[in-house]
Amino acid sequence: MSRRFVFGFVAAVFVVANAAVRAADAPSEIKIGTLYASSGAFAAISMPVHSGLKLWIDQKNAEGGLFVKPAGKKIPIKLVAYDDQSNTATAATLYNQLITQDKVDILVSDSGSVLTSVAVPIARDHKMLLIDQTGTGANFFTKDNPYIVLISDPVSSIWPKYVADFLTKDGPQLGIKRVAIIYSTNDFTGTQATAVRGFIKDSGAPVEIVYDNGVPTNTSSYTVLLNNIQAANPDAVVALGYPNNDISFLRNVQDGGIKFKWLFSIYAGLETEHLLKTVGAKGLEYVYTYVPSSEIEYKSEFGMSLQEFRDAWNKKYGEGTVEFGFNSVAGYTTGLVLEKALATTESLDQLELRKVIFGLSGKLKTIDGTFELDETGAQVGEITPLGQIVPDGKDGIKFVTIYPHEVATGKPVYPAP
Amino acid sequence: MLAYSILAGLVFGLYFSLVGLGLNLVFGVMRIVNLAHGDFLMLGAFAAYWLFNLFGINPLAAAIVAFVFFAILGIPLYYAVVPRLLKAKDPEMLSIILFFGLSQMIEALATIAFGPGERSIPGKVLGSGPVGIFGQSLPSAWIVSGVASGVAVLFVYLYLYRTRLGYLTRAVMVHREEATATGIDVHRVSAIAFGIGLALAAIAGVFAPFMLGSVTPAIGVDINITSFAVIVIGSLGNPLGTVLGGIVYGISLAFMQTYLSSWANLLPYLLLIGILLVRPSGLLGRQVRSA
Repeated sequence: MSRRFVFGFVAAVFVVANAAVRAADAPSEIKIGTLYASSGAFAAISMPVHSGLKLWIDQKNAEGGLFVKPAGKKIPIKLVAYDDQSNTATAATLYNQLITQDKVDILVSDSGSVLTSVAVPIARDHKMLLIDQTGTGANFFTKDNPYIVLISDPVSSIWPKYVADFLTKDGPQLGIKRVAIIYSTNDFTGTQATAVRGFIKDSGAPVEIVYDNGVPTNTSSYTVLLNNIQAANPDAVVALGYPNNDISFLRNVQDGGIKFKWLFSIYAGLETEHLLKTVGAKGLEYVYTYVPSSEIEYKSEFGMSLQEFRDAWNKKYGEGTVEFGFNSVAGYTTGLVLEKALATTESLDQLELRKVIFGLSGKLKTIDGTFELDETGAQVGEITPLGQIVPDGKDGIKFVTIYPHEVATGKPVYPAP
Repeated sequence: MLAYSILAGLVFGLYFSLVGLGLNLVFGVMRIVNLAHGDFLMLGAFAAYWLFNLFGINPLAAAIVAFVFFAILGIPLYYAVVPRLLKAKDPEMLSIILFFGLSQMIEALATIAFGPGERSIPGKVLGSGPVGIFGQSLPSAWIVSGVASGVAVLFVYLYLYRTRLGYLTRAVMVHREEATATGIDVHRVSAIAFGIGLALAAIAGVFAPFMLGSVTPAIGVDINITSFAVIVIGSLGNPLGTVLGGIVYGISLAFMQTYLSSWANLLPYLLLIGILLVRPSGLLGRQVRSA
């Protein structure tokens, strides 16, 4: 028997034994714990994200599970999901339950900054990595907290950069010199307002902020506020709110016969199908907004293409009560990041997971754009360009990407007719 | 801005008079707290939404349909729940628990049926463009909703002060046991008042998409808080005090939005605390006792 044969035999035994030990240690399922809001103020943004994540889970389970490298094989995903009903106190209790009672392997936050805010300290205290889907509040991300990564939306402190850049760089040439900012006072839109304000002031451009007021997130009537904004005589109005705010705001603009020369709204773009049903196409015409990943065909190098995802969504949810849109893409993107991370991680240790997710930064390209993190775990890729919604000539609307210039598909219509 | 705030606040307040009116009528007659009031308003809103979307029925017509339907619905609901509740030692407290449960059920069922997202009806259905009043312009949907609210308030006034049933209702409001002793069929009077209370909530719901921008199955809680503020300001148990409470709330909200917008959601609580400290019986409290 040659030494070569003996060496080969021993190596083979080692590999087989090692695989057997790994298989014995491998969990029979991978537990993903998350929350969703089926009712309340954040249901409209939570359910599409949750449905997007569920679509990915169902898809993977139908394929025999998710490949988990430490197990060396595909493992079924078990989703442990609770309804927080948009209530932060309930959410805090349930996040604790997911960690301490259900002992989930992966903790995924509910959608949006408000319902994510309570998860940040809980995850940190329990040394669980918080897979933050769309909670973009800038104060969640600090250098001393390694237990959070923002997956699917850019952090709010940079998200509105293109909006502010357009106003300060292209705006003065168009005649935009006076800007009004109205925002809902929560982590998400409050941070965006701070960012817009900061970008404008730091730019040194001849643009003045003439109205800058926050309103409670549950504000449903903007008629008086609109009159006050009009009194400030702005050339551009930046309205930063959640869907309920944007719906009321845009309806009040339309019903009041108010014409702003330039008007920005977040959810006109992020949840267009939903706003079409509530505000109507006329109310969205000439509104500036973020051009979402559900409208731009980013070249996906992992997971489904946008059209494939849309088809899968329609097949699974049909004409259900949850709309396809930016948030549904966000939920699916969360799944893709987890899929990639679990396929490469050496263990399910939370900091190891963080390490492999950071390793994807700048390399993972999905239908949500390029996944890119800064050192605090904040998402700095996936930034949505500024666009304008214009009539498509068939009683409908379409997006025109306005800024940055390198991705622009058209010129802004200013002032809005 | 001042004139606009007063005018818009007046119209908004008139609407909130209607929002609180049904709740106060039910409390005044039965001394029970209907915590599902906001959910019946929500159901009225969804009824209007579906009637408009499926059959093209104008919300003004939907308001009449909703009034009749919810008034009829309220009568069996009264007999199923309230008489037993009133036999309890502390019906007020028990009613809070019972109707809270009902509220949760309605919200959950509505969420399953309609989905969690916002729904609305185009504002142009109630008239296109703004309407000029005293040099200010308000959305025509607001004006129509405000007028409809005024009509509903007038209806309640005529019912209470110009009809025999209204006299009986006021008698029950003043003293239930004495009314029973004088031979008044208290349960019949109360059942009708309960039905009217629900119907008023439903009418308010029909106009909610225009006044509140949109509705979701979850709006009930916020509506209840505001309704309580409105009726406590006016006077708990005095339906007509609700009109004053609504107007005070509407104008105060408009001022808050103009001068201290970030804190506007504190208004219902501030008004509640203020009125309870300064005049616990409400602005029209004295009139209740001498009615």
